[in-house]
Amino acid sequence: MTNRCEDMRDRMGAWLDGELSRSRFEEIRVHLESCSACREERRQLEKLQASLKELLVAVPSNVSFERFWPGVEQRIERQRSWYENLLGWARDLSAPPQLAWAVPAVIVLLLLGVFSLESFFPGSRLAGQRNNFANVESIDAFGRNVAVLRENETKTTIIWLYQNQEGEDESTGEKSEAGPSF
Amino acid sequence: MSLPGKRARRVLLFSIACCLVSALGGAAETTSQIVQVKIGAILASNKGDEFDARLAPLEKQLKLMKYRSYRLLKEESQKVQRKGNATFDIPGGRSLVVTPQESGTKQLALRVHLQQGGKPLTDTTVRLDSGGNFLLGGYPHEGGALVISISATAQ
Repeated sequence: MTNRCEDMRDRMGAWLDGELSRSRFEEIRVHLESCSACREERRQLEKLQASLKELLVAVPSNVSFERFWPGVEQRIERQRSWYENLLGWARDLSAPPQLAWAVPAVIVLLLLGVFSLESFFPGSRLAGQRNNFANVESIDAFGRNVAVLRENETKTTIIWLYQNQEGEDESTGEKSEAGPSF
Repeated sequence: MSLPGKRARRVLLFSIACCLVSALGGAAETTSQIVQVKIGAILASNKGDEFDARLAPLEKQLKLMKYRSYRLLKEESQKVQRKGNATFDIPGGRSLVVTPQESGTKQLALRVHLQQGGKPLTDTTVRLDSGGNFLLGGYPHEGGALVISISATAQ
């Protein structure tokens, strides 16, 4: 056996498994055509691989399924109770793809509900508690005094106008209030 | 990520986008053109203990003013366009002009001008929630005080 033959045999396994580059593959193939010793080595190696493959094929264990199958059939044929159906439905609903629809759908419905109530029934009790407070942005009482009362319990805003001193109200000739009576 | 996972993520993103669009759409208050303005002219006095049954919805508000008697003199409602004037005759020869300045479905700004014989008594701008009210009072009338309840509702 030459050094070349030794080199070829070292790479014979990789050659059989198709793991070599095309040039290296061709090099070994050409060598095998001219070297009977290496061809014999290849044959032995192929035989060994075939034997190993046979050994590695899994043999199913001799587990007895006789008692297993009737149990499976019984569970398939048994009518599920409403409770089990409900649980199954809830489980399916909570599976990721369905949940992706469900969560935003619920949020959208809630938002639409709130805004629709406010749009269709402005100021209604259904649309939520209204803040009855009024904000006085500007006021000109033309010489009278102004008192603004904001009462928390009833959310009431009262604008009260009164004269500085008790006296005749110029416009009506009636007695004017001296000040707010609240 | 597997194909069902990708689809679920796309669905989730699309749904969140829908949520945001609907939330923004809802938050953007629509402008209302018609406003219903309702006024009630009430005589508050310390003569007698009468409480007008028609004033029951305003009872808690009126009783803040510590008068003993409350009588509804006049009640009127008008529908008015935004920037339009709703004019009400008020007892005592007075005239009340209510002008919605801004009106959304939730909030309104009202300009309220009270005058008597062409002479202005009060000019005020008040912002309130649609359906809400406020009381304007203190004007002497028949030995008591005139109180005007003003409410406005966007239609």
